Amino acid sequence: MAEASLIFILLERILSIFTDELINIPLINPAVEMLLKIPFLNVIVAFILWKPIFHVLILPGLIGMTLVLLFIIYFERKITARVQWRVGPKEVSRRTGGVIQALADGMRYLFQEVIVHRDANAFYFLQFPLISFLPVLLPLLFIPAGGTYGIRTIYTIPAALALISLIPVFIVAMGWASNSKFAYIGSVREAFMYFAYEIPFLLAVVAMIVLYQTSDPFEIVAKQWIPGAVMNPVAFLVFFITVLIATSRLPFDIPEADQEVAFGPYVEYSGIIFGLVMMLPYEKLYLLSMISVILFFGGWNGPEIAILGDLAPVIYLYIKTIVFMCVVSLARSIYARYRLDQSLRLGWGVVFSMSMIALIISVGWMAWLRL
Amino acid sequence: MVKVVKSPKDGLIRSAAGHLRAITEVAKVVVSPGTITVHYPRERRKYPENFRGMIMFDMDECISCFRCAHICPANAIQMYPDAEGRYFPGIDYAKCIFCHFCVDSCPTAALKQSKIHDVAYRDVDSMNVSPEQMNTIPEIVREDSVTVEYDFEKDIQLVRKKEFENLLVEVEKPERPEFKAVPQYGENCIGCRLCMFSCPVNAIKSKLEETKVILETDYERCTGCGICVRICPTEVLILTPIEREGDHQ
Amino acid sequence: MKEYSLDISVTPPKEYESYFVPVPKEFLEDAYRSDDFVVFTGPQHGGSGHMRLIIRVKGDFIVEVIPDPGYVHRSMEKLAENRLYIQNIPLFERPSIIDFGNYNLGYVRAIEDALDIEVPERARYLRTILAELGRIGTHLYDAGILAVFLGHTTGFMWPFALREYIVEIFTRITGTRITGSFVVPGGVRRDVDEKTLDMIKRMLNALEFRIKKFERVFIRNPTTIARLKGVGTLTKEEAVDYGVVGPFLRACGVEYDVRVVEPYEAYDEIDWDVVIGEDGDGYTRFLVRVEEVGQSINMIRQLVDNLPEGDVLSDSIISFNRKDIRGSFFEAYADIVLPEGEYTTLTEAARGTLLYSVISDGESTVPYRVRIVTPGWMYLKGFMEACKGHRLADLQAIYGSFGYFPPEADR
Ligand code: SF4
Ligand code: SF4
Repeated sequence: MAEASLIFILLERILSIFTDELINIPLINPAVEMLLKIPFLNVIVAFILWKPIFHVLILPGLIGMTLVLLFIIYFERKITARVQWRVGPKEVSRRTGGVIQALADGMRYLFQEVIVHRDANAFYFLQFPLISFLPVLLPLLFIPAGGTYGIRTIYTIPAALALISLIPVFIVAMGWASNSKFAYIGSVREAFMYFAYEIPFLLAVVAMIVLYQTSDPFEIVAKQWIPGAVMNPVAFLVFFITVLIATSRLPFDIPEADQEVAFGPYVEYSGIIFGLVMMLPYEKLYLLSMISVILFFGGWNGPEIAILGDLAPVIYLYIKTIVFMCVVSLARSIYARYRLDQSLRLGWGVVFSMSMIALIISVGWMAWLRL
Repeated sequence: MVKVVKSPKDGLIRSAAGHLRAITEVAKVVVSPGTITVHYPRERRKYPENFRGMIMFDMDECISCFRCAHICPANAIQMYPDAEGRYFPGIDYAKCIFCHFCVDSCPTAALKQSKIHDVAYRDVDSMNVSPEQMNTIPEIVREDSVTVEYDFEKDIQLVRKKEFENLLVEVEKPERPEFKAVPQYGENCIGCRLCMFSCPVNAIKSKLEETKVILETDYERCTGCGICVRICPTEVLILTPIEREGDHQ
Repeated sequence: MKEYSLDISVTPPKEYESYFVPVPKEFLEDAYRSDDFVVFTGPQHGGSGHMRLIIRVKGDFIVEVIPDPGYVHRSMEKLAENRLYIQNIPLFERPSIIDFGNYNLGYVRAIEDALDIEVPERARYLRTILAELGRIGTHLYDAGILAVFLGHTTGFMWPFALREYIVEIFTRITGTRITGSFVVPGGVRRDVDEKTLDMIKRMLNALEFRIKKFERVFIRNPTTIARLKGVGTLTKEEAVDYGVVGPFLRACGVEYDVRVVEPYEAYDEIDWDVVIGEDGDGYTRFLVRVEEVGQSINMIRQLVDNLPEGDVLSDSIISFNRKDIRGSFFEAYADIVLPEGEYTTLTEAARGTLLYSVISDGESTVPYRVRIVTPGWMYLKGFMEACKGHRLADLQAIYGSFGYFPPEADR
């Protein structure tokens, strides 16, 4: 009897931790209140609705990300087809215009054989695609979404960027574990590209941080009564270009150029593992888009919707992110691929100087606003 | 008479203008796409009457002249005998390259083109169709209700009409005089009578006059297929046009 | 740049012994011992076509490219020796079915030479229209391949869509999208009706309209220029030495075009310019072909406008209807025997000079020997030389700028 009550007290305690920071959505509040009265189940419900968990697992997090990825792949194919006088995916579920195409492809990958070739270092070869989820999901802890957030510090942006910049390490490692010539060339290219964009990219972010004089996203968003992209368009341009490079989108998909190095680091992967690694640039794009929305497009700012409560800002951020990704995905149909040396030159030349200009603009703004 | 092309000069402004041009053009296409897709099984592209599709065969018209089998560049036509010993063509679609030399060679339009271009067979063996199979119109499963025709007016236009196009084509007989095999140079005959045995319609009769074989054509029966003419080692028989003058052979 | 050499003994992987690799073992060993890298590209590779390229790179720079063609060799010349003359027409357009007009034309002209067949005016015009349409189609096709090699997907899809226009016209004229086999000794197989001729003109307008869009998105796109300009340069002398042909030779500044040097069909009756370039780099090679499309459009307009009335089949062949070969094809062509001798024709196919040499023994209905020299084969050497000293990523750009087409080269 005593033990049972101990468990109950423990559960009570745990529950109270969760309910302290429960996400508040008036729309589903009655249902939540009812569920919270049921023992045991209430802990699970509260856990899911606990802000950090809701953040990482549900909306901007895992589930939201999966939905975005499925959508953006479909959207990219559709918009590219539109530009190219085609129709694009349609036959899978004709009534909806083929929205579940990406899901169908994912299923196909799932049933394909995963081949680990003889020369590969099987352990790392299989391990890297899986643990590369770490640098994808961890930044989500730091990037807040208005109503929800994982970890709240004033170093959010630097921390998130530091984690995101781990992704190329995993890609290079995948290429190394593949032990194939094309993978090797692709990895070297990936490493080079990393050098091409990282510094202007960081400078652009620094320019924005200087502009807002804080790296706490809540303050950044609060300060954006004019979107950052208008305040400092050069920084935005630099950020946009470096996002293209960072996510290996055309015209910078040099590491995985399929006509040259046949998907570079990913050349040896097959089946669902290939599906996972192909997702990596998209996941990175998702994160970077989110950061760019926070930095340049007023983050989760938007008219309040009472019925959605805490969810409304999350949804604003989410939608803005998707729109940003859609714009990025259009680049694919406009450009050919640059060469490695050209994009290095571009990164260290034009884009780097532009990032310096952005910095100067920010400093100018700051000085003017202080006066 | 000579036109020299030069590549454009480099320059930041030029390249920025180039970027802008490309981006605006793509943006324009996003707004008003120039899609030219024909949704195939549901719509069907309209093909002209002379479209070189699957080959239709009319056994009643065929005079068993072997022209189609001889001319086929892919060796796709085999002649199959029927119960009476007449030969009819069967096409091996595994080999056929749809050059339609056979159709153009056929003197009686027994072989004719059609607009059927999508045919499925169970296996490679069944692609070798027999004359009887060719004689019947294949079962066509169609999902289309719209015919799309390409037209051009400043820009391409896809003219969509709600009509059900007939895939079979009506073909008139080719313009050519009627020929009959005439044993013109009887004195050359060595009496091998290959012509007689080879005639698909038994139109050639021979009779023995002393040591000489005299050939005689039953002009009612002769279809002018020319097999005897081709087989004769000493060129006794000549294909002669009747009715119309002026054409040779 | 300072080089550091490490004296480590390396042995080439065992696989090289078991694969059929058409390079000497010493080459591989040497490459492995120095710090070069040998990359095998193709035949199953997104940017190789039906051929293997053995590339030796030093760092990112290509030292040498050794081609391994022949994956699509169909022994066309041998096959031709046991086919009737007329049956070789479909065969000989197989190297490049999208350019069937020119391929038919070269071979048929050899036969006509031998038999002294005078081709009616209208047929000559129609053949020229077909040849020029094929040229536009092939250049568009090559532009698409170039685009996809540069990673420009829109640049890939658009020319292929534009080629559909050409194909539509081909369908209306010949009844088939590619592999027309339409040019026959003494003319063309069928006359073209007014409606189609009118459509050709309208099609050309529509084509120009969209080519302008294509120009903005791909041809003048800064990324395209960046990738192609100054890449794979051949000087005039080199180009001549390596035997480069066609637009690729003209891009190096050599004014040679068979259509001008030895005019055939209707080329000397219309107004057009030979397009040449100056720089001889990848972008010029591309621009020359872009400009040639413009010239061809211009030519077809003139040809359609001035198309003479009359028969399309010559009097010297047996045909009962001089506007349509149907019903007399067999009589006309089944028994062709060429007089003894060798008959050679040069044709300017889309990708360059195409040579047919038909040798007849004077008594059989099949050729004794046919020699085809396709342009693809001619500029392979130039292509290989142009790659030297450029970056590995440039290989595909140079490949695309040459429009190298393995089925054509391998025959
Ligand atoms: S279309 Fe050509 S290949 Fe086919 S059967 Fe007729 S002649 Fe032979
Ligand atoms: S060419 Fe025509 S008539 Fe002669 S055998 Fe063939 S199908 Fe029959």
